[in-house]
Amino acid sequence: MNQERIERELGLLREGGQVAQLITNGASLVLYRDVPTDGAKHALPANTDVVVPVPAGYAAAAIDLAGLPVGSPLLSRLKGGANSQGIVSADGRQWQLASYHPHNGGGGPPWDQMKHGFHTYLDQLIAWLYRIS
Amino acid sequence: MAISNKLRIDDQDAPRQRLILRVAHPEFDTLKSIVFRRYPEWEWATFARFGWRETPNALVITLAAIDGPTSGDLNERVGHVAIDEQYTLRMALNAEKHRLAVGVIHSHPEGGAPFPSRIDDDMDTYYARYFSDFAQGRPYISLILSVIEGKLVISGRVFWQDRWLILDHTTAERMEIETWVGGRPPASKNLELDRAARFASAFGEQALRRLRGATAAVIGAGGTGSVAIEVLARAGIGRLIIVDPDEIDRSNLERVHGSYPEDASKRTPKVIVASRHVRAIDPTITVEGLIGRLPQKEVLDTVVTADVVLGCTDQQHSRLALSDLAFRYLVPSIDCGVVMEGKDGKVTGQVAQFVRFLAAGPCALCRDMITSEVIKQELMSEKERAQRRLAADEARKRGENPNPYWQNQPQINTVGYLTTTVGGMIAGYAIGWLTNRFDTPFERLQMNFVAKYLDVTDLPQKQRSTCACARFRGWADQANADSLISAPDHWLPATKVV
Repeated sequence: MNQERIERELGLLREGGQVAQLITNGASLVLYRDVPTDGAKHALPANTDVVVPVPAGYAAAAIDLAGLPVGSPLLSRLKGGANSQGIVSADGRQWQLASYHPHNGGGGPPWDQMKHGFHTYLDQLIAWLYRIS
Repeated sequence: MAISNKLRIDDQDAPRQRLILRVAHPEFDTLKSIVFRRYPEWEWATFARFGWRETPNALVITLAAIDGPTSGDLNERVGHVAIDEQYTLRMALNAEKHRLAVGVIHSHPEGGAPFPSRIDDDMDTYYARYFSDFAQGRPYISLILSVIEGKLVISGRVFWQDRWLILDHTTAERMEIETWVGGRPPASKNLELDRAARFASAFGEQALRRLRGATAAVIGAGGTGSVAIEVLARAGIGRLIIVDPDEIDRSNLERVHGSYPEDASKRTPKVIVASRHVRAIDPTITVEGLIGRLPQKEVLDTVVTADVVLGCTDQQHSRLALSDLAFRYLVPSIDCGVVMEGKDGKVTGQVAQFVRFLAAGPCALCRDMITSEVIKQELMSEKERAQRRLAADEARKRGENPNPYWQNQPQINTVGYLTTTVGGMIAGYAIGWLTNRFDTPFERLQMNFVAKYLDVTDLPQKQRSTCACARFRGWADQANADSLISAPDHWLPATKVV
């Protein structure tokens, strides 16, 4: 894992007001706190915490997937949310990974490690959380 | 930082730490054009910036940038180097804005040994203290270049962690430069000319000496790697670093030189097999074997001391790691791959590929050699692979696209005569570089051994200006955040077994 790079990317997020942290006890994950959603229109949470696994070999491999707290009412309403890709533990909570693949045919640009990172993945997460069915 | 007023470079009590300098084009060309500006009689100098990596046994310094003098920065009227304070101050203030190490490189007159004079001692003592205020925690580097009997020679020392290290090896990418330790000429070593008589008659005794003083790292000790190792050993390489994570199985016996059925039944690591084979060929060769992969820390610590690296894994993550070695640590490499193609029961292609990765050349990303899906699958843990395959199967059953989960990659088929041919040639190209007798005639060469006229193609490609390979050349560990690849956490720790 390239911790220096991830910390730099999370620093960029902090500059923009988004709180995110790298969690390394157990599986390495980035935890984005209070990411806005379009939930208010659907009587769902307007914000949610999201975890994203750090891919093995990062940044060679693309960032993929997104996890919401197990039992989140958003899961069943988001693209790929019902298609669980596993449960992970972080921050004292259980998280369900949704089948969300923005850099692999899922609506985002192809992975380019010179442009993309955990700082730009926030845009993909917000786009996902604003497409509530 | 406390620095004594006197240079203490012969401190016998201090643990010996090797000091290796790595230089490459185009910075070294710029350096020569500056320091030899007043040659052959007068000296000249420049400041420079360096990356570095400290390993358990060595400090490796990489030339990253030249901050040449402008008018008035050096005194033109004296023969020796006299640096004006404005130049020094400018470099010191610059050092506060970057994270590289700072150093001074100067020439001695032609024919003059690169032995530090009293003036050089005074300068280095002063600068080591001076720059420690502006570039805290970074080495201070001092190098002397000279030309003696037409040969480029260098000496140097580095102030690092409160002591002086003496340069004992220099690796110049595809160039010849001789290191004079402490400014003194190297002792001539005896060569076993009888066993290398044919090599010496073809390339010359000097080439044999260079090879004997050189280190090659071979990443992958399978079909191509085991052959490259054998060829280098028989040619007379001085030191071999062998890296491979795998053990011999029965399917390897058709290709891996030096392997026997007993190795398959015992699951002997390929590194052990290769090391044993080298020792049987020539027990005087220094062999270091690591069970592991690039870019694991222990592997990188060892490979960064090599003069050349051969990539023999035919895997994308390895090519990214070789690219990273080339541009950040100035370690040149040649990568090879072999593939057989077939149709309707006939073999239609037996294709070899050789790619060189140089400090200033395009990396594997710029060469479009990396496929996002393939490298992700290569780097996954077995557990994740199993999960992904299962998810792909389920997606298929639902009538959905399985590709976001898993994409089946075609099995790369190859056979022993092909891997032997390619492994032999990649070692040959490495020998060409190490002896400075010939260069690789290609950037990215592909040839089909069963096509008319071999169907040879070369693919010259360019660096993308936005790529890390174009922005962090020679930055070493100081560009860790911009490395192209990191070692996955699930890989077993690399272990040194030889």
